[in-house]
Amino acid sequence: MKVTVFGATGVVGQALVPLLAEHELTAVSRSTRDEPGARYVVADAASGEGVAAALEGADVVYYLVHSLGARDFEEQDRAAAETVSHEAANAGVKQIVYLGGLGADGPDASPHLRSRRETGERLASAGVPVTTLRAAMIVGKGSAAFETILGLVKRLPVMVTPSWVSTPTQPIALDDVARYLAGVCGNEATYGEGYDAGGPEVMTYRQMIERIAALLGRNPAIVEVPVLTPYLSSLWLNLVTPVSASVARPLVEGLRNPTIAREERIRKLLPLELTPFDEAARRALA
Amino acid sequence: MLESGGFESRQRVLVGEPVVEASEAGARTLGVTYWQAVDRFTRGCVRASWTGGGGKLKLIGGATLLTFGPPELSFDGGLVKCRHAIQGGLLALRAGGSVTLAQRPQGVQQELSVTVEGYLPRLAARAGAPPWTGMLYAKGQSPFHAAVSRRYFGLLLRSHDS
Repeated sequence: MKVTVFGATGVVGQALVPLLAEHELTAVSRSTRDEPGARYVVADAASGEGVAAALEGADVVYYLVHSLGARDFEEQDRAAAETVSHEAANAGVKQIVYLGGLGADGPDASPHLRSRRETGERLASAGVPVTTLRAAMIVGKGSAAFETILGLVKRLPVMVTPSWVSTPTQPIALDDVARYLAGVCGNEATYGEGYDAGGPEVMTYRQMIERIAALLGRNPAIVEVPVLTPYLSSLWLNLVTPVSASVARPLVEGLRNPTIAREERIRKLLPLELTPFDEAARRALA
Repeated sequence: MLESGGFESRQRVLVGEPVVEASEAGARTLGVTYWQAVDRFTRGCVRASWTGGGGKLKLIGGATLLTFGPPELSFDGGLVKCRHAIQGGLLALRAGGSVTLAQRPQGVQQELSVTVEGYLPRLAARAGAPPWTGMLYAKGQSPFHAAVSRRYFGLLLRSHDS
């Protein structure tokens, strides 16, 4: 099968590409690459440049692109998804696989999570069946959300946190997300379907901070305050973590809502043994 | 009110189809949505806070209104439920009772329910005491609980529809 991966050089893309080795693979990025295992091409989903050529002959397309960090990320994400959707239809693509966000279907989703949902809708707008996997925080090296938590744990002996630290979430290991994504490739039963891809454990962000701290041999004091707004939180994160405020703010806004799996159909479809949180975090810290 | 001094209450609605899956994830969704309803109804003034050992319902400023055990999730046939044991807090006279969020088939429909069983509220009138001693419970806590349940049913249905 011919497979094209948009966002192949991102955190998830890099984990996914080796799992698609049995296919004829085209890896798309915005800058030139030359690595074994795939044909690397340059294309930009946002401008549309090179997209048609990247999709030529493709059966399955992975869409792992987002514009988080841009001021108008919602508009950019919608436009990029529409471009890929229409070009995929023109190229006769049979399936688009998309990684969205858990909690994005809620009626009061944050702008970031709403954008993830709208991106999925735009991808389906030209008639190519979309398979959507929805994940919460991805636990892996380079994941913006994980690096944010890690930055806090590493730098602060005392944390003054907003109330979102008590929100439940279901983080999933980077390897597990990649295996789920690879598992639905070309699977006709998944065409047009959406799946919640939760990790094996539900925890609050506070528990997550405490467990990462334990792995690092730290014991930060956590003080919850009810008045820290997402804007103030993002400025604070910009100051103390490697994540910029423009990325942190939409992430923090999304933390107010629970991000847990509401159904387990993916576990029946692909009965993988999921990586426990501590093991996933250990790998990310290595 | 039961002879034991415990209270029972049950709010329910009937809907046309299941709103959560019959699975652990579905049962957990019932619980998480209920605590979200408390947060929304009180505009963040009362929030659930969880650790591995259970949860606390905390008033803004830090007072612990109720403490709960960890969620006991079950799904058997059509019955999906999330039960929390009540372990204490300012609004409990002592540990005892539970709150259960459930979805069960009811004929061709599905019943969503919030059931409190065996709860010993501090604000209620004691057995044999004049009724006015329980005014705070009857006119405050009990209607509050019913209103949270209504918000919970609404949230469940809205998230199912979206």
